[in-house]
Amino acid sequence: MSFFSLQALTCDVGAFHLHDISFDVGEGEYFVILGHSGAGKTVILESIAGLHGVGGKLLFNGVDITNMAPEERSVGFVYQDFALFPNLSVRENIRFAGRYKFIEDADSLFNDLVDFLGLEKLLDRRIDNLSGGEKQRIAIARALFSRPKILLLDEPLSAIDPTFRNAIMKFLKEMHRRYHLTTLHVTHNFREASYLADRIAIVMDGKVQQVGCANEVLSHPSSLKVAEFLGFKNIFSSSLLGEDSAQLFSIDPNAILVSKENNPKCDYCFEGKLDECMGIVDHLNFLLR
Amino acid sequence: MKRYWFTTFLVFLGAIMLLFLTLPLFKMMIGNDPATLLKTLKEADVSSSIWLTMKVSLFATLFALVTGLPLAYLIARHEFIGRSFLETLVDIPIMIPHTAAGIALLVAFGHGSLGSFFDLFGIKFIGTEAGIMIAMMFLSATFLINGAKEGFKKVDVKLEKVARTLGASPLKVFLAISLPNAKKDIVNGCLMMWGRGLGEFGAVVILVYHPMTAPVLIYDRFTSFGLSYSAPVAAVMIILSIMVFFNREVCQ
Repeated sequence: MSFFSLQALTCDVGAFHLHDISFDVGEGEYFVILGHSGAGKTVILESIAGLHGVGGKLLFNGVDITNMAPEERSVGFVYQDFALFPNLSVRENIRFAGRYKFIEDADSLFNDLVDFLGLEKLLDRRIDNLSGGEKQRIAIARALFSRPKILLLDEPLSAIDPTFRNAIMKFLKEMHRRYHLTTLHVTHNFREASYLADRIAIVMDGKVQQVGCANEVLSHPSSLKVAEFLGFKNIFSSSLLGEDSAQLFSIDPNAILVSKENNPKCDYCFEGKLDECMGIVDHLNFLLR
Repeated sequence: MKRYWFTTFLVFLGAIMLLFLTLPLFKMMIGNDPATLLKTLKEADVSSSIWLTMKVSLFATLFALVTGLPLAYLIARHEFIGRSFLETLVDIPIMIPHTAAGIALLVAFGHGSLGSFFDLFGIKFIGTEAGIMIAMMFLSATFLINGAKEGFKKVDVKLEKVARTLGASPLKVFLAISLPNAKKDIVNGCLMMWGRGLGEFGAVVILVYHPMTAPVLIYDRFTSFGLSYSAPVAAVMIILSIMVFFNREVCQ
């Protein structure tokens, strides 16, 4: 039995529709939902949190939580823009869940989170005028203080200065291990997904296109649509002689040798005329005819 | 100077309007010496009418706060068929003539089944404070509802969603997040409503001539005794209204 399971989940938010979203998340897994902006990633997270009426089933440890109110689900939610409460101090923001439900070892958890996330000096400040990184750590601390069964992260790195993204990705991985979390992270960034994910679901136009282990999904897309989304170039169709099968293959541009020689030692050679050579930071782009 | 001609032009036209809006008020305030104003305030009918006006306007505001805030929140937070129609309904009272509103209230609450229904609880609307209250509320609740609606719209809905995931029920989210973060606009709306209620005349005079509210008293003195007798009362009311305005500015 999986820890957390979405079974044919459907949801309508305005003109947007989620279609039969199904995947399982194992306990302690770091699961990444990868997709373009507007693909429905945030709606999936909000549906899991109980913030939209949905069709299909949501199971947690085999228990149907589809119609459970958000306050009874024990999910931690961190929005892209952090959604901190402006009327409360940093300390009150973090301890917010403690007002409404019993938190086991609340004080020691609070101290541990403050220590781990380096929030000691910010505790009595208002949330205005904090940096993006500080707000993010507070939003994470607030979610973790509620001792969630599953942590939902909505594009947690998109509002962060690119200089700090690698450090924060490392921090997210450490945090996931330290607090024995089950994390569902949505992003449109392949680097985040490939570094953090145990497993990945590719979501496009409100549908799950592929689910699997991170390496498997990122290196073996199951359809042309997914391959294009993942940035595969030079995609060609192929079929084996004598078999009624249609496959696709792609050639990595980095594996193509461009040469002026007439007979370079390669398996396949094509002749072409160099149209333009574009120098882009650390590599060259050749446009050939 | 050539560079700033347009700004100078705007300032000139704006100054004409500003002068028009403030001159009568200043004239009233400086045209009555403080001793006369104090003497006027000490007159029993003046002080009781001002007290009555402020008290009943406050009650009207409190009633509208309890019933209007939920309406404002519903409009601000929920998409539903007929929402813009509902918003128009809320706006209508400030667009109709106040005397016409008074007649409408008289027809609705003075006689007939609604009047008889309230009569069962000993509530009458003609010649009573309850009548003053509904007249004030009918013509000024829009300010409170619209103020609160704008305030709720400014509160990011994601704050409420996160609060739900942290264990707060919808009512607790409303009390702990929505209300405090929309406070400024709600207080502003309350003061606007209260201030507007203080000046209500047209509808009040049709439902309730006695006991007299301050605007009715000013009208009564003007028609019975002339300008010199009504002007000090008008000046006192203008000063009180300006104080309400400054309170609003301080709150903001």
